[in-house]
Amino acid sequence: MKCLVIFGLIVAILASIAGYGYLLFTDLTRPLPRPEFKDDTYWGPGDGKNYKPDTKIYDFVVDVPQAEIDDLRQQLNRTLKLTEPLDGIAFEYGFNTNALAQFVEYWREKYLTKWDERQNYLNSLKQYKTEIQGLKIHYIHERVSEEVAAKKNVYPLLLLHGWPGSVREFYDFIPMLVKDQNITDNAFEVVAPSLVGYGWSDAATRVGFNAAEMATVMRNLMLRLGHKKFFIQGGDWGSIIGSNLATLYPDNVLGYHSNMCIMNTPLSILKGIYTHYYPDKVLKSRMFHDHHVGIWEQYQELLVESGYFHIQATKPDTIGAALSSSPVALAAYILEKFQTCTSPSLKQDFGAMVTIFGLEAVLDNLMIYYLNNAATTAARFYAENTSKTYRDLQLERVQTDVPMGCCRFRFDLPAASEWQLKDKFTNIKHSMYFQHGSHFAAMEMPSMLYNDFTTFVQKVGLQTE
Amino acid sequence: MPSAASTTVRILIGGLALLVAVGYKNYRDLGAPGKRPDLDNNEYWGPQLKGQYQEIKAIKPFDISVSPELIADLKAQLERPLKVQEPLEGIGFEYGINSNELKKVVKYWRDSYLPNWNEREQFLKKFQHFQTEIQGLKIHFIHAKPTNVEGKKVLPLLLMHGWPGTVREFYDFIPLLTTGSDKSEYVFEVIAPSLPGYGWSQGASRPGMGVAQVSVILRNLMLRLGFDKFVIQGGDWGSTIGSSIASLFPENTLGYHSNMCGNNSPLGSLRLILSSIIPSFYIDSQYSEYYKGVGHLFVTIMEEFGYAHIQATKPDTIGAALAHNPVGLAAYILEKFSTWTNPAYKNLKDGGLTKHFTYEQLLDNIMIYYVTNSITTSMRLYSESLSKEQFSLNLENLPIKAPAGCARFAHEIFHAPDSVLANKYPNLIHSTHYPDGGHFPAFQVPQKLYEDFVSFVQKAFN
Repeated sequence: MKCLVIFGLIVAILASIAGYGYLLFTDLTRPLPRPEFKDDTYWGPGDGKNYKPDTKIYDFVVDVPQAEIDDLRQQLNRTLKLTEPLDGIAFEYGFNTNALAQFVEYWREKYLTKWDERQNYLNSLKQYKTEIQGLKIHYIHERVSEEVAAKKNVYPLLLLHGWPGSVREFYDFIPMLVKDQNITDNAFEVVAPSLVGYGWSDAATRVGFNAAEMATVMRNLMLRLGHKKFFIQGGDWGSIIGSNLATLYPDNVLGYHSNMCIMNTPLSILKGIYTHYYPDKVLKSRMFHDHHVGIWEQYQELLVESGYFHIQATKPDTIGAALSSSPVALAAYILEKFQTCTSPSLKQDFGAMVTIFGLEAVLDNLMIYYLNNAATTAARFYAENTSKTYRDLQLERVQTDVPMGCCRFRFDLPAASEWQLKDKFTNIKHSMYFQHGSHFAAMEMPSMLYNDFTTFVQKVGLQTE
Repeated sequence: MPSAASTTVRILIGGLALLVAVGYKNYRDLGAPGKRPDLDNNEYWGPQLKGQYQEIKAIKPFDISVSPELIADLKAQLERPLKVQEPLEGIGFEYGINSNELKKVVKYWRDSYLPNWNEREQFLKKFQHFQTEIQGLKIHFIHAKPTNVEGKKVLPLLLMHGWPGTVREFYDFIPLLTTGSDKSEYVFEVIAPSLPGYGWSQGASRPGMGVAQVSVILRNLMLRLGFDKFVIQGGDWGSTIGSSIASLFPENTLGYHSNMCGNNSPLGSLRLILSSIIPSFYIDSQYSEYYKGVGHLFVTIMEEFGYAHIQATKPDTIGAALAHNPVGLAAYILEKFSTWTNPAYKNLKDGGLTKHFTYEQLLDNIMIYYVTNSITTSMRLYSESLSKEQFSLNLENLPIKAPAGCARFAHEIFHAPDSVLANKYPNLIHSTHYPDGGHFPAFQVPQKLYEDFVSFVQKAFN
């Protein structure tokens, strides 16, 4: 009798623990409802009590005073006092200072001397500014021609960059999107903004401008331009902002395509570990294994590459001050990412950036940070997105049935499998794995990104509705 | 369920995953606890040579004078319009250095400090500076002899700074040590080096010079100067290097005193975790506010160690960014003198910088980094010391046989209780707590540090 009671007690205790564990698990992994989000918060300077919204759209051209270029050249002419790399070291300790010295000379002697040419190139895409929620937003707006409109279905597309990128990443991609191409029935009216705090857009002056606020501003920008429904494409922060937009404002989104589809929910992390050990059970093809197996190496790699993230998320104004006071500082810091985001076989190679991107493109992008003194405000975005306020929104656990497409470039940050993505994206139309390419996909292989994006749009199948 | 739980679980899972990732490779080959690693006491760290290395053992007086051209160029740089961003509304130092305070410092630096540079240089020269070559590197040090030995016993003392400090931290501390007082029958002959790669000491030319290797160099420095046995005092890297010297060279160590005692051995780490779960077993309740537990340590690592993360992984990037960039260098270094002096100062618009330090003191320290252009090599100590190779030496498991003393200043970044230190400091004879002071006690409260130090010495030798 006593045995039975004890046995019964043990079973009851174990069952309670199991039950509690199950409740805890489901509570931490179940999808959450869409939060209410205020879509008209004033983000301009001051308290906005006397704010009079200005809804006009203004033409914008890049027009840098010659004095600024001369001053930059003068700063780049200061005698460099860089420390020699350690013996036998290329880029393992960060950006190689010999490469940096060469780069600075190129910047000063070759690039800046043809700045007018570069400026004209930057102006080759039409640009505008308009004020959203108190912030002046800069954006590229390229429409299709009448001929293309006659032959193709035209959809509005919001194109979002990240860090340390800019609208410059899209200068080869955008011309493809507005053209009449054989491989697709679709063409796009492209809106490519500078993110708030980046490029030629204003920055927020109060705490709290996180990726949900950014998504709101960008959605409102599209509404301002008369686009109630649009596609979204993005990588890096652009991917996260696009995901938030698709989550908070699904009625505005025709489809969301990402070239950096990551998922960091507790459930996703557990699924990732499982996938590492049992890839055959999760992935459709052996070709996809390399993207997901080797998770511990991936975490180690992430640890080695994420120092910038850590310092920007916690002390953005410190690192911002450092990068703002010296163009050489800005170059070293940003170039390190362009050097690393090439491929494992190239990232110790002194010719990597030339091979993958071309120095002009890298410098154009660097100039956008330099001319707008955006290092600090760009870094602050990391702090806002790691804050409790943002984390409490738990947007990654909110589902959206917006049509979703994901492409994974081989050497980008580890991307989520469909099994992980579908916990959030209930309507995945397209999922692709590439054996090449890295983080700056639009710059490195715009045709592949274009192919993949238009394939996704085709699969969304709007014309058949 | 409140989101705090989900956040905690997410952080724990992520942290666990990261810990396992880093740990499984590194700790797979943990040697038997307590085995002294084999280190080459004559390892060469200088530039590549064609022939055999001939060490120049001469000890030469060293002139720390700065060229007028450098000062003029610095002034010109500080005259440029500052390109910093306004702080966010209502923010103090929560996002890092407050640019309004940085502007004030830069203005002072340009308009008050630099015009007075000759005076500052003279001040820095108030101690005797020397240089000698050890294992291929020119090592700079201050050598301060005791002034009043009447009725006193003299002990040699190796005094070591850390990052982002310099020998400048000791300018009010050294006179107390060399003059002596009625508080102690000991006075000290002080050797205060610039760590290799810092200040006027040369950095290594090849990878591999971590804490263990630096401790070999500085122990050799003491031997070069004729000190076979010496006392050690240090904070920050000075504490870690000192601990390494005491562990590797017990025959040279008379005593070890630190204001940042730590124990990173597996047993120490385990005890630290336990001390958070059952504090009553491990912590004297009288000092409970000094020991904030692993949760607090984790939050501190997240919020305050971004600099260490980037320095341990990309020292050449961040070094290049700060080299010859006076405003950037000032921003980066001053932030630490605010937050590490007292974390509560993050809420202050001026970061509390002048609560305990003058701009002179802070700028003297920054100038040493600037004029020697040593920021990159100073940061490489992080990458070289937080590496697989360094961890595999298993130095944490080597106990310190000499008498040890730990002074704990309340606002230091982190403290470990005596119970956690036990297996590393089996001869811990002195353990104190101070309700003020932070990470830089020699700089901030030199008298207190002096009294604590001599109290330890008394216990060690009597």
